[in-house]
Amino acid sequence: MPNPPHHANTHTRRTVLKSTTVAAASTALLPDAASGAASPAAANPGDVVRVTLSVNGRSRVVDVEPRVTLLDALRERLGLTGTKKGCDRGECGACTVLVDGERIKSCLTLAVMRRGSEITTVEGLADGDRLHPVQAAFIRHDAFQCGGCTSGQIMSAVACVREGHTGSEAEIREWMSGNLCRCACYQNIVAAVADAAREVRR
Amino acid sequence: MNGLVGRPVERVEGHAKVTGTARYPADDPVPGALHGFLVTSTVARGEVTDIDTSAALGHPGVVAVYTHREMPRLTVPPFPYPKGFIPLQGTAIHHAGQPVAIVLAETLEQAQEAASLVQVRYRSEPPRAVIDDAGQQPYLPPPFRDRPNEFTRGDASRALAQAEVRVEAHYSSPTRHHNPIEPHATTAHWDGDRLTLHETTQGVNVTRGVVATAFGLPADRIRVLAPYLGGGFGAKGPVWPHTIVNAAAARLARRPVRLVLSRAQMFTLTGHRAEFRQHLKIGATREGRLTAIVETTTAQLTTTEESIFNESDSTSTLYTCPNVHIRQEGVRLDIATSSYMRSPETTAHFGLETALDELSWVLGVDPLELRRRNHTDIDQETGLRIASKHLLDCYTTAADAFGWSRRNPAPGATRDGDEYIGWGMATEAHTFSAIPATASVTIGLDGKAVLRIATQDIGTGTRTIICQIGADALGVPITDVHAVIGDSALPNASLSAASATIASISGPVDRAARTARDTVVGLAVADRRSPLFGVPVSDVETRHGHLIHTRDQARRDTYRAVVSRAGKPVETTGSVPNVPGHSYGVVFAEVRVHARLGAVRVTRVVTAHDMGRVMNRRTARGQVLGGVTWGIGHALMEHTVYDRATARVVNPNLSTYLVPVCADVPSVETLFVDRPDPSSTALGARGFGETPITGVPAAIGNAVYHATGRRVRDLPITQDKLL
Repeated sequence: MPNPPHHANTHTRRTVLKSTTVAAASTALLPDAASGAASPAAANPGDVVRVTLSVNGRSRVVDVEPRVTLLDALRERLGLTGTKKGCDRGECGACTVLVDGERIKSCLTLAVMRRGSEITTVEGLADGDRLHPVQAAFIRHDAFQCGGCTSGQIMSAVACVREGHTGSEAEIREWMSGNLCRCACYQNIVAAVADAAREVRR
Repeated sequence: MNGLVGRPVERVEGHAKVTGTARYPADDPVPGALHGFLVTSTVARGEVTDIDTSAALGHPGVVAVYTHREMPRLTVPPFPYPKGFIPLQGTAIHHAGQPVAIVLAETLEQAQEAASLVQVRYRSEPPRAVIDDAGQQPYLPPPFRDRPNEFTRGDASRALAQAEVRVEAHYSSPTRHHNPIEPHATTAHWDGDRLTLHETTQGVNVTRGVVATAFGLPADRIRVLAPYLGGGFGAKGPVWPHTIVNAAAARLARRPVRLVLSRAQMFTLTGHRAEFRQHLKIGATREGRLTAIVETTTAQLTTTEESIFNESDSTSTLYTCPNVHIRQEGVRLDIATSSYMRSPETTAHFGLETALDELSWVLGVDPLELRRRNHTDIDQETGLRIASKHLLDCYTTAADAFGWSRRNPAPGATRDGDEYIGWGMATEAHTFSAIPATASVTIGLDGKAVLRIATQDIGTGTRTIICQIGADALGVPITDVHAVIGDSALPNASLSAASATIASISGPVDRAARTARDTVVGLAVADRRSPLFGVPVSDVETRHGHLIHTRDQARRDTYRAVVSRAGKPVETTGSVPNVPGHSYGVVFAEVRVHARLGAVRVTRVVTAHDMGRVMNRRTARGQVLGGVTWGIGHALMEHTVYDRATARVVNPNLSTYLVPVCADVPSVETLFVDRPDPSSTALGARGFGETPITGVPAAIGNAVYHATGRRVRDLPITQDKLL
């Protein structure tokens, strides 16, 4: 049996995908599900549910199939294309966002699982024109080239600093190794993270 | 002159990239666009006997499913369309992963699921996946891009037979994939017979030309946009079939269509570095002077094309050697087409630089000293003196920084706890092209300059360097200069590949900007309202956006005032040819090899490079860091694995195709000689980007030998090969 709806956040993408129809039906029962979704028995592929997401401090309503990942909801439905899709399998880290302050790979979670969570993407880091210390450090240290992984690196770095995993260069390297950079700016990313950590601690 | 060229200027697009506002080709909103998804072949050799699309067509949101039955007949373009055939034009299957249908749906999820519902039946034959299974003798393919695959100088076999010392060995490397973080993406939008493509490409004009050929359209009906690119490394240089198939589908559906390849599809649809074998025989004097090189290489080809991308340029040109015989052979396999990948000569370069290390041990000569003895300033192909080559300075600079003179030459002599420590080195070299280009400059009524050129910034810093050049030539702050690139409607430029970009576009940008400056100065001195009226143009200098009388600094005007008084923008173009050549360098590496586990860690790297003038030390350094890391990946981990029964890629993802992560690479000390090349019209710069990496796999392998006494000639150097 699938988990009841109020345990939806404990689903992994895999368990949800394995029981798509049932999950869709369960989700359709949730309070903010689309009223037109009718009864569980009527839930079909293509049916959508209405989900309210809190993204970068703003409440955003999006109609998605239950199988839609948070990543695709952000990029394809909310126009937040700063978050990148590199592998869609949780291997590269390009899609890293913060959910309730923790870094997660948004391709490995479904949008419907993240109602009630506070989601931060790269577009939500800067305070108006004032860059987040990690963003500024990435420019200062030339911690990117093509930029394909940069959003994910920066979100991961924000969490890495907050987690306190910046005690040494080796520690930063280890805790930033979930984000691939094919241009290989690793040395500069490490310098940027260390620098931003110093600034945040000040 | 502001003197921006040569300074480590921060990337001008930095803010856009760290805030997520830089729009990459898959980010551009295209109203009404459908999502496409490819259905690909599960067999590697045979033909499609039946396709049932009914279940897919019945899936919610699906608009169309196209197979070879519906697709229009298209023309197969020549290189830079390297594939030799266009999928969905017939029933023949040439490799696993070949597209056999494309599904169009309203959402990405619908397209992906419906693609899994397309039922394809095949007639299949046993495929050949690796060189060992080719079942045929390697053969000499016809010239590729007018370059013959056999090359001779002097009498190599005779010189080899007479050589005082000989080294002979076989070197090899597996298939490797580029794996840029950004997947290939294309969005096709037709308006009548006009086509706009939002395309992940290293060459907007190359894509335009190839697509025009495929559809039989004049090139000016097609516009290709790639304002940003999330990594290419060669994978986005040629045009691949998904672009053509998607454009054809969009035309049939009469809707814009966006197609983004999955990571797995990138392992069969976007090229790779071919599996490669190298049989090398070197003859030398007892002092270590090369007298003969005989090399035969074998690369994977396909049944649809015979292109050799792993060139042996280093073998024939890197050192002085009067007798050389190179044959670049191939075997046809039933896997996807290979292509150029960052520094194509790296595969052959690995063998050459390893063989030199082997020769150094045979002779008892220090490996660095051996390379010095074979150094040359003469172009080995033309016999002419190279105008500017500072490789010997690179050797000295990097060796000093690394501490090479402290090296204990005995293998396996240095141990620290459970690890053996070894030092190795190798020369680096890479050719660069110079491709004709034109740039334009517009000075607006606000006095600000817009530089336009149809080049691309694939992460190498092109956009920033264009702005540095333009700002210097005009005498304005870099903040008053904006570069518009990545659009085929702009003045002509070519691929961001073959390390050609800086060599090709710097001169044109500089010329266009200087002409614009002279035009504005001319307007000022002819304008009675200008404080510079009547001043000879040779007495006017430009600095920080001002036009200033050189001998009376109080008499000055501004770009903004001059152009706004003129009432219309100043527009100029520039075009300056350049010549191709080589950039050089050296890499020193330290490795630690676990005595019982065989695990290799690279713990220290020092490089020095001669690239002519260093345009921007910050972006140049980025190329070195990237190249060294790629070299570490090639030396120690990267390896595409094929199932030999089905010829499918076994590891088409980033958890089993290993690329270096942050913890895999040490800090690299990057040094530059930085002397302008007088023969370059690119402000003294040479093409450089692919030079670092070429020597890295050999330097690491040579260090592993020094650490352990074990010579691994088959890359990657994985633990099993050292146990």
